[in-house]
Amino acid sequence: MATVLIENLTKIYPPTITYPHRVQALGGVNMSVTGNVFVAVLGPSGSGKTTLLNIVAGVETPTSGSVRAVHNGVPAQVGYVFQEPRLLPWRTVLNNMLYVQDRKSDRSRREAEFYLTMVGLNEVAHLYPSQLSAGMQQRVGIARAFLVNPDLLLMDEPFSHMDALTGRSLREYLQRVWLHTRKTALFVTHDVSEAVELADRILMLRPGGVVFDDIPIDLPRPRNPDDPAVRSVERDVLRRFDSMEAAVRFGAHAQ
Amino acid sequence: MLTVPSVTPDAISALSSREMRRAVMRRWLFRFSVLIGWAAFIGVWYFFSRLVFNPQQLPEPHVVAGESWTLITERDFRTNMQASLVRVLGGFLLAIVISCGLGWLIAYNAWWRTLLRTIVQLVVSTPIVALAILTLVVFGVSSLGPVITTAVVATPYIMMNVAQGLTGVDRRLIVMSESFGRTRSQIIAGVLLPSSLISVLAGARLAFAVAWRMELLTEIFAASEGVGFQIRRSFESYDVRGMIAWTVLFIAVMLIFENLVFRQIERRLQGRTA
Ligand SMILES: Nc1ncnc2c1ncn2[C@@H]1O[C@H](COP(=O)(O)OP(=O)(O)OP(=O)(O)O)[C@@H](O)[C@H]1O
Ligand SMILES: [Mg+2]
Repeated sequence: MATVLIENLTKIYPPTITYPHRVQALGGVNMSVTGNVFVAVLGPSGSGKTTLLNIVAGVETPTSGSVRAVHNGVPAQVGYVFQEPRLLPWRTVLNNMLYVQDRKSDRSRREAEFYLTMVGLNEVAHLYPSQLSAGMQQRVGIARAFLVNPDLLLMDEPFSHMDALTGRSLREYLQRVWLHTRKTALFVTHDVSEAVELADRILMLRPGGVVFDDIPIDLPRPRNPDDPAVRSVERDVLRRFDSMEAAVRFGAHAQ
Repeated sequence: MLTVPSVTPDAISALSSREMRRAVMRRWLFRFSVLIGWAAFIGVWYFFSRLVFNPQQLPEPHVVAGESWTLITERDFRTNMQASLVRVLGGFLLAIVISCGLGWLIAYNAWWRTLLRTIVQLVVSTPIVALAILTLVVFGVSSLGPVITTAVVATPYIMMNVAQGLTGVDRRLIVMSESFGRTRSQIIAGVLLPSSLISVLAGARLAFAVAWRMELLTEIFAASEGVGFQIRRSFESYDVRGMIAWTVLFIAVMLIFENLVFRQIERRLQGRTA
């Protein structure tokens, strides 16, 4: 379990040869997340979601502001699920799992096999990523993130490249594994129904990288996307999303 | 509207067995054409040695084969072939070591990239005969000369491919590794090395072919033992048979080496990442 504290976080990408303008990806993000919660960060394309996760993961540096992700006073161990599977093509599924582990022992191997079983992939542990379907590869990505026993789970639109049916079954897998561990999770998405199905809390990010809204989701788990209660919350969140879009458009006109 | 012809299981299996037969035929045709190629080469050789020149100028294939066999059974063969092989491999390995360092610089440093590209152009466009003679001038008759020159000639090929391999590495895999707390050396061994291996191997193969030709030529000018030296000695004593036999043997050994080592490694790599 981790605590994430973000204050006035901004990120400006410097101009490059191919795009000679500064790009403001995040324009002062404030948020605090703590406990065994699943938080969805909801925002349209280009609102800085990936940038935010990369900074929390420590693979990108902020321009200004502060980010702290701690667990019992020490930096939190992060498990990251990316937009695409990001597996090493020259390693088998099992060896991809072992790659992120520090010690190589029988126990670590058993743990890897445990999480592969969790996502229904123990049978294919000896295959190479190219021999799996896209959905299976992404399941390996999910298992890998849980394997490092993370204090903080970061997920960057892990299902956006999947077809609807695959995405649906993967969300089920994710719920199952998450309920088993209940790690603090930051889940980035631009899909409202996905956010409502998975999250305890939705942070809405608007273009320019500012938190626009903070919505608690009080629904029992495990959730079924077809449940009327889930549907009605979804409609409510969608309305707020629309009002954000309207506000953004209105703001643009006002300038 | 589109009509889809109905496909029965029988039709499918008939089709697939026909395709199988075709595939087998094609493979045999392929092997056969390799044989024909060899036969044609030997035929042309006979033609030239009997009708264009005479067997004193260009010995016939079976004479060269006999001479090669005689050479192989002599003690000289082992010492000379070994000397040449050691130099080829020595120069080649030296080239690999240098290439890793320089390839790294080319991939990550614009200044070095420009500098080394220019040098590569110079080396690659210098005739290898000139380099061989230069070796004699600089190193005299020694073992070191051929090794260094071989390395110099082989390095550009491997180096450029090391650089290409490194710049072609998927940045996202490095970000993945960093976010999971992998150390620098773990990332080098786990991501950079394997992902650039295919490109490096392609370069190494080309470099090896250049390396052994260069080494042979250098030996002709600047060595006191080795296959190249033997070719020159045969030449000086008007022994055309010996000259060609040594050449044929060396080419044979190198081709066997190339096919055994490189093709095997390549095959293994491709099977994994295809
Ligand atoms: N490495 C980079 N260099 C320059 N600009 C970047 C870089 N990464 C992202 N950006 C820019 O920053 C802004 C936010 O990008 P980011 O990828 O964080 O958005 P996102 O919300 O994840 O979008 P998506 O939903 O499409 O994944 C975009 O305008 C993007 O062009
Ligand atoms: Mg993104």
